[in-house]
Amino acid sequence: MSKFKVLIKKLYKQKITSKSFILTTLLYLVVLSGFMFWSEIKDLIFSGDADTIAVVNETEFDIAQVLQDTDDVEYVYVESGDIADKLKDGDYYAAFTLSDADGKLAAKIESYDPLPLNDQQDFQSALSQAGQLYAMSQMELSPEQQQLLLSSEPVITLNSLNEAADDGKSAEEKMAGVWVSYAIGIIIYIFVASYLSMITTDVASEKGSRALEMLLVSVKPEVHFRSKIVGVFLVALTQFVILFGGLLLLLRFSDGGNKWSIVTDLLNSLSISYFLYIIGFLFLTIFMYLIIGALFGSLVSKVEEAGQVMMPAMMLTLVGFYVMLTGMGNPDTMLIKVFSYIPFTSGMVMPMRLGATDMNAIEPIISFVLLVVTVLTLYFLSLSFYKRSVLTYSSGGIIEKMKTVFKVTT
Amino acid sequence: MVLQLKDVTKRYRDFVAVNRLNFTIEKGEIFGLIGQNGAGKTTTFRMILDLQDTTEGTITWDGQPIKSVSRDFLGYLPEERGIFPQMKVEEQLYFFGELHGMDKNELKKDIDFWIERFDLEEKRNVKAETLSKGNKQKVQLIASFIHKPAFLILDEPFSGLDPVNMELLKNAILYLRDQGMTILFSSHQMDNVEELCDHLCLLKRGESLFSGSLLDLKKQYGKTKLTVRTDKSFEILSNYPGVNHVKMERDSQAVLTLEDERYAPEIFDLLSNGNYIEKFSLDYLSLHEIFKEKVGAGLV
Repeated sequence: MSKFKVLIKKLYKQKITSKSFILTTLLYLVVLSGFMFWSEIKDLIFSGDADTIAVVNETEFDIAQVLQDTDDVEYVYVESGDIADKLKDGDYYAAFTLSDADGKLAAKIESYDPLPLNDQQDFQSALSQAGQLYAMSQMELSPEQQQLLLSSEPVITLNSLNEAADDGKSAEEKMAGVWVSYAIGIIIYIFVASYLSMITTDVASEKGSRALEMLLVSVKPEVHFRSKIVGVFLVALTQFVILFGGLLLLLRFSDGGNKWSIVTDLLNSLSISYFLYIIGFLFLTIFMYLIIGALFGSLVSKVEEAGQVMMPAMMLTLVGFYVMLTGMGNPDTMLIKVFSYIPFTSGMVMPMRLGATDMNAIEPIISFVLLVVTVLTLYFLSLSFYKRSVLTYSSGGIIEKMKTVFKVTT
Repeated sequence: MVLQLKDVTKRYRDFVAVNRLNFTIEKGEIFGLIGQNGAGKTTTFRMILDLQDTTEGTITWDGQPIKSVSRDFLGYLPEERGIFPQMKVEEQLYFFGELHGMDKNELKKDIDFWIERFDLEEKRNVKAETLSKGNKQKVQLIASFIHKPAFLILDEPFSGLDPVNMELLKNAILYLRDQGMTILFSSHQMDNVEELCDHLCLLKRGESLFSGSLLDLKKQYGKTKLTVRTDKSFEILSNYPGVNHVKMERDSQAVLTLEDERYAPEIFDLLSNGNYIEKFSLDYLSLHEIFKEKVGAGLV
């Protein structure tokens, strides 16, 4: 077995069997399961707790066709009277009083305690729909006319006059792109943060314990550097496969397989090239931060300093993450465009633009090429520096450490 | 001749760590590199190990530039003790052996042998971080030579060891030498160097003060250390011819440092006056004393 393989084998085995790896992987799986089985968990915990809403209908309109019972809400139709007392006693969670106001539906929502935002929004939405139907009922329309009005969404066709541009994405495709990109952004952020920390700490620990000096007698620094990056990358890949596989299994088998349609819908609404770009950006970004992590780890003299030196890289990932979050609301801003080209953040930001905006095909290629060039440049620069820094021990901040390395090795 | 350093210099901008260093180590010998902290020992080791480039000069192994020789012929025990804290002792030894290209079957016999020899049987499956300092040092020493290197470098192998473990390590080093291994080591404990080394190099601030056999070094100073048992006072002894320094010790014993060994017969006559004398011993200076004399000269 080559020295490179021996080093990778040791690192991989040590990390995969470590308590922290097993526990975090299990924790992520538990969180994913929690999301997947949320409706079942909610039923289990909150079963039988449907809130009772009293409805006082002072109009002639059959409001029961709109306000229908759900798992969370149960409507009771009452005459006005002791509502206030029942609200106070907790018999009713809230009460709607519906009346006519010049042909429009007027609704008064009462509750004993102020309502949470979610409930406010849900009630307003239900009453808004009731208001529309009430207005229609006032017009004395035939059932066909009512049906026409209810299905009156316009048929919209997007047409871009720029012949160089691709056909625009539909709003559904863009929304799917936003959510997938959001998930990808979170994955990149979590993976980069975890594995940047892992590689920095690992190199720092070997250097601090002086085990590195014994290793470097046998292996060249470049082999050691490469083995750290590839080894930690394989650990990250393993965790990714476990979590992704777990997610697919959960989607396939939770809720009687109904959630599997989410996967098929996503696959239908997003192109293959989009997924290829995402995988490329994801892996290259992780690789880039692993290179930075290994380099920073080689600068410290003891493992306690690892947190200090990795801070700049963590800040870069945070910037990328927050810029990506701003894109959730509007992915077409200049901020998003600029950061989608910066290699340290493009992995998190460009997938958002790719999925949720209409852009020229050359733009992601430029961003991707910039990322590849940066990774390669960083790799060779870091390798050259690593050879010098890995056996140099110094104190002070990161810049001071770099200066010391140059001072004592040139 | 196996290892040769020829005019080796290591310069960092305005600081010279090692200056025109020359020495040769023969196959199967134990060679000592001694000097104070900062004398350039570790830098020299790192240049031999190809962990640092030389600024000038050449380092060869069997006539070949050391850079062109496979790294598996080397073993190294760094000055700062360090092994993988989370790895078990046995696992650690297999790892270092495999790293040098040996397979598990080859290693098993040797690992068993050394674990038993260093009394580590009970610690075989224990994580290194739980070991005592002495045991860690033993594990690290085994790790440095488990692949049977032709050339072993030991940087301060005895520091921090109790006398029992020190003896164990010394015997192991002699055993390895007898197996044909060439060993270069540094130590601040001169009695160990004196006991183990055939040849040595004395470093001071990157400069070689002496390189050669221990006996040749001692001969440079001659037999000038005279130990006597007498009831004569410090003043009387100080006034004897050729006496540079007198140190009174316990049990009526005094150690006289002579200008030259030819004064010894005259002092013998003055001390004995034709009568029986219990102790009169003329010897070379110890390496410790030579080290203080040579390396300590000019230092406050």
